[in-house]
Amino acid sequence: MIEYSLEEKTYTLNLGPQHPSTHGVLRVLLEMEGEFITKAEPVIGYGHRGHEHMAENRNYLQFLPNTARVDYLHALAYNQGYCMAVEKLIGLVVPERGEFIRVITAELNRISSHLLWLGAYLLDLGAFTPILYCFDDRENLLDLLDRITGSRLTYCFFRPGGVPQDLDDEFITGTRAFVKRLRTRFKDYDNLVTKNVIFINRTKDVGVITQEQCVKYGLTGPMVRGSGIPYDIRKSEPYSAYPQFDFVIPIGDKGDILDRYVVRVREMEQSLRIIEQALDKLPNGPIMAEKVPKRLKPAEGEVYQAVETARGEFGCYIVSQGDIKPYRIKLRVPSFGNLSILPELAVDTLVADLVAILGSIDVVVPEIDR
Amino acid sequence: MLIDKIKQALAPLNLEVADGDYAKTGCHLAVAAPPDQIQGVAQAMLDEGCFLASLTAVDLRESFDLVYHFANFSELCRTVVHVPLGKKKGMPTLSAIYPGADWYEREVFDLFGIHFFGHPNLKRLLLPEDADFHPLLKDFGASESND
Amino acid sequence: METKTGEPLIRFGLLTEALNLARANSLWPLTFGLACCAIEMMAAGMARFDLDRFGAGVFRPSPRQSDLMIVAGTISKKMGPAVVRLYEQMPAPKWVIAMGNCAISGGPFYYPTQYAIIPGADLIIPVDVYIPGCPPRPEAIIESILLLEEKITNRGRLRKFRQDVNR
Repeated sequence: MIEYSLEEKTYTLNLGPQHPSTHGVLRVLLEMEGEFITKAEPVIGYGHRGHEHMAENRNYLQFLPNTARVDYLHALAYNQGYCMAVEKLIGLVVPERGEFIRVITAELNRISSHLLWLGAYLLDLGAFTPILYCFDDRENLLDLLDRITGSRLTYCFFRPGGVPQDLDDEFITGTRAFVKRLRTRFKDYDNLVTKNVIFINRTKDVGVITQEQCVKYGLTGPMVRGSGIPYDIRKSEPYSAYPQFDFVIPIGDKGDILDRYVVRVREMEQSLRIIEQALDKLPNGPIMAEKVPKRLKPAEGEVYQAVETARGEFGCYIVSQGDIKPYRIKLRVPSFGNLSILPELAVDTLVADLVAILGSIDVVVPEIDR
Repeated sequence: MLIDKIKQALAPLNLEVADGDYAKTGCHLAVAAPPDQIQGVAQAMLDEGCFLASLTAVDLRESFDLVYHFANFSELCRTVVHVPLGKKKGMPTLSAIYPGADWYEREVFDLFGIHFFGHPNLKRLLLPEDADFHPLLKDFGASESND
Repeated sequence: METKTGEPLIRFGLLTEALNLARANSLWPLTFGLACCAIEMMAAGMARFDLDRFGAGVFRPSPRQSDLMIVAGTISKKMGPAVVRLYEQMPAPKWVIAMGNCAISGGPFYYPTQYAIIPGADLIIPVDVYIPGCPPRPEAIIESILLLEEKITNRGRLRKFRQDVNR
């Protein structure tokens, strides 16, 4: 006997884990009343690969490829965070040219991550042209990075102590040409996307995050900057060669999706500024520290190193007990905290708005699941 | 200075507060707290405007060590709070003060088996719901066959 | 050509060859990116390494409308039942490409005391083509589509211009 009644009841809708716009294997359980969502609960774990358990079974250098696969879109920043943490434990100092090369490649990687976010987000909203433009720009960028790092996506280019391979002249001329070209392309993106009426209607005043929510949920990255808080680890806790460069932190004012989109596009422009300044000031010298031990065996202790990635704050917490394998590594990933605000933002919205909000959080699900 | 304000806010709780070595450990302030005081510490940090950056546990074979990292948006001051916990004991939850701690505590329960009293929804987060092991314990043996 | 469900009931003769040619030149993949390899799969479908010129550029989100499943990424134990269910939802004839080291044999995440992943897609679903790499380049994905076409039609495309084809 099927029961029915005249009063309104809610039904459960399952979004994922295989869905064209969940950016990986994320499942969201929705309790809906008609077309409106009353409760949303993300279910994660479909990409759990056991990175932290692997850390206890690998030595310090063998764990480096893992850090690239946690968030594969900005892999160089994760390499940087891990290498800096190990360098703090051992007491290595990276030479200046090495730091500059790290900054140039990490900022190029940040641009490629934001370009992919832009293309994929607009594909979720239904526009097919911008992703083709973004991927075209991204391919040019990946050609540059491929020359010196050897890979297109999951880089393991940094080592504790510096970088193993130096830049050559073709890379420098290619990067300068790329920077010039991308600046003209931003005008195309502006005309195609930012002034588009449909895009503005779908993103204005949707998914508003207040500054109090930022503190309570521990959000970081463009989510926080879109709500008006100028928090960027490259400025507030400078590391590597960032103090030598002149760049601003773009912030929004309301905290809706349109603000976060504008923050990310402006961040790409700031990254181009940093790359240009770094190429102008590039010093000569060694790229690797002098006495890097063959077997990395840090002293007993713990360290927490935070770096700013395209999604927020990546924190690498290493506990060492003097062995060649780490005792415990905790990877604090930005998408984990950023996604935990979704249940609160999704109340009383339509499913189409939920997809827009989820895209603007910019999650990479294998990083949440580790 | 924020570091002095935090020390002042934590003074009534009578905890061990020490200046951390930032160049070596990455933290400005190191606090050791017993499990029943953690909610007081969290409330004090929230009043100063700090956010919870990370919550994790370390299995020290005889006991656990829970590690809370706090940071601040406006001024640089990283605080680490170490909470020693015996095996087979539980912890009070922080999800009433910091809603973001909800998922972190579920992850610690999933990987280590530590219970959090007062948590609204303490289910497994990363492993399948019907898993019966906690993988990051030091005495977790080899896995069984594939598939 | 046998379908995955056994011997065909009706044999069409020469028409089978034409049907196989049609099937091979218009494979519709399922959007099934699990991890890092998904990005290279997307890049293979975009403007530089166009998959559309081989007929395989129409990525369908629903398994009921697709006939090729490209398993791109690591299959965790929680995801295993979902993969099998999606495979069973696809209508025959259907093919599977295992892309990347993780889908072939667990990749960098396999070590003797691991607990989290299923080391290989062929432990749960039958696989036709394997693409090694971590992640494989988009050119390798295109090569795998061409190899799959050869498997379906028993003839190759542009054979005299491609090396390592010893048929």
